[in-house]
Amino acid sequence: MAQDNLLVVENMHLYFKTRNGIVQAVDNVSFNLERGKSMVIVGESGCGKTSLGRAILRLLPENVCRYDGRCLLNGEDIMELSDEGFRKKIRWKKAALVPQSSMNSLNPVIKVSEQVAEPVLLHSLVDDKDEALKRAAAAFKKVGIPVDFLGRYPFELSGGMRQRVAIATSLITDPDFIVLDEPTSALDVLTQANIMNVLTRLKQQIDISFILITHDVSTSSEIADMAAIMYAGQIVEFTDARTFFGKPLHPYSERLMESVPTLEADDKLGYIPGQPPSLINPPTGCRFADRCNERFELCSQDPPEFVVEGGRMVKCWLYKESGERYVS
Amino acid sequence: MSVNKNEVLLEAHDLRTWFEIKKWGFLHVGFVRAVDGVNFKLHRGESISLVGESGCGKSSLAKTIIGINRPTDGELVFEGKSIKAASDGDMSEYKSEVGFVQQDPYGALPPFMTIQRILEEPMIVNGIKDKAERQSRLEEVMTELKLTPIVDFLDKYPHMLSGGQQQRIVIARSLVLNPKLIMADEPVSMLDASVRVEILELFRKIQSKRELAIIYITHDLSTVRYFSERIWVMYGGKIVEQSPVRELLLEPAHPYTRALLAAISEPDASNIDKFKKVPPGEPPSLLNPPAGCRFHPRCEYMIAGLCDKKEPPDFELADNRITACWLFKDKEDASDVAI
Repeated sequence: MAQDNLLVVENMHLYFKTRNGIVQAVDNVSFNLERGKSMVIVGESGCGKTSLGRAILRLLPENVCRYDGRCLLNGEDIMELSDEGFRKKIRWKKAALVPQSSMNSLNPVIKVSEQVAEPVLLHSLVDDKDEALKRAAAAFKKVGIPVDFLGRYPFELSGGMRQRVAIATSLITDPDFIVLDEPTSALDVLTQANIMNVLTRLKQQIDISFILITHDVSTSSEIADMAAIMYAGQIVEFTDARTFFGKPLHPYSERLMESVPTLEADDKLGYIPGQPPSLINPPTGCRFADRCNERFELCSQDPPEFVVEGGRMVKCWLYKESGERYVS
Repeated sequence: MSVNKNEVLLEAHDLRTWFEIKKWGFLHVGFVRAVDGVNFKLHRGESISLVGESGCGKSSLAKTIIGINRPTDGELVFEGKSIKAASDGDMSEYKSEVGFVQQDPYGALPPFMTIQRILEEPMIVNGIKDKAERQSRLEEVMTELKLTPIVDFLDKYPHMLSGGQQQRIVIARSLVLNPKLIMADEPVSMLDASVRVEILELFRKIQSKRELAIIYITHDLSTVRYFSERIWVMYGGKIVEQSPVRELLLEPAHPYTRALLAAISEPDASNIDKFKKVPPGEPPSLLNPPAGCRFHPRCEYMIAGLCDKKEPPDFELADNRITACWLFKDKEDASDVAI
């Protein structure tokens, strides 16, 4: 069966040059996302998940020293486009970003309606401002903000409302997918649940994919169809979310899931001793080996990406034999 | 030395901390009632979680308890002595009995001081003149917090440490004076999940070993079970429910607590098709809080004519539980109200 892939990323690299050396923030990352599905990129801070999101949208800082790989959106290689072509054809129109703490990025002296309408005007998707404001009103409805909030200033809105405004801004150009970078990490539990409800409803109502970047495994389970676990610049597991939350495969994913507090179970929480490796000089073998309690001889070599039952990808030597977990 | 766990360490009677809002610097506009009529009893060696949304007054309550804010009204009684009438000298003695663990470890540590200096400073301020004693206390807390080998840390500056290590330094600093009470304001919210549990467990171990009383402030209900015996739930400047952790998680009483519990995500793939039940509206403004129960505009069980008129008193339920909700009038058990 031919898959209808919205986004295919192959061998993506993004390295930064710093005074201390080259930071391998995204190191040989590949995945594909089917149309209409949403995925989550989970990992600890500093594992490169934000860099990966930015690499897809080509929103790069100045000190990039390596940026390559293939990135196919609807079958078209968007890495081939020039910067200007990318800006005109892809950014906002096909792919939008809700950056980290975007609720605090609103301009305090401009009405929210104008800030939400700005992308459609800049990309001349509509003829005049009235129409743009109409689309802003429609976007407000989609995220559940009363339309009479259009004339307000950001300081008149609560944190949850501002976060919704940021999401409305990304929706207004009707993109194919939206990258959401930690959309709920600064919010309270109730507000967080509200935002996740908004995203779930959007997913059901309109044809859109989300790429959610977060360190919070629990909330990510609310909208993710696919889960990508990132560790030290690499995706170590990429699987269907339904099976992932029940049974993670990679030892890192397992430890990560054990460290998530839950309300019911009386089990003891686990944690991962040690710290993630520096991305400047990452270890040559498996990058998790130093903290892994299941390491064996092979782990000193870089594990390839094994595909095991159910098409799950896992980058761990334990799965080298036909998907069965190796027991030493 | 073992402490008597039934002995009350700290008590609050109708504690209020209001902040005045002024226009142009002199016109009185109103008061922000950040802490508005809080009653509690904290026993020795007890670990409490104080849970609530941002803006509900939990940090203001914390600052009132550690003596940064002076209460507007009501009183705090520490070991039988009222703090309200305390002289400045008594107050600084009180402050040395109460440690504070800040939320953001990097912001809480002065960047230009070495770890040695950071940990020694509270002892210098509080008049421990013997250098050898300072050193031995410092080494004791560092060992307890697994900041070993100690010599590796002493000459470092905060920016040279990882987030988890910085937070442990902050905890160590709060412990060097051997306090009886620690106020921990979201001590792990800035840390990654994998480190968070490690710090909480370590902190918990120290708490039970030293028989410290801890008030752990958080907005994350899912971590409290691992850390404390009792929960206080705060909403709109008031404590609306006080209960042992297990009972509260199994059977929340106050409608607000129920809403909070329902909103928590658990890593479960079936979440994807579900919507969460969230009460409509926003937390009340503390400048003009609603009359009656502060949760009534958002509450689906609101009793018209009662909840919006009269403020609910604290009702006592079985299992040592207290809740401020009219639904529990003349009830004995949380399960008596089937909602």
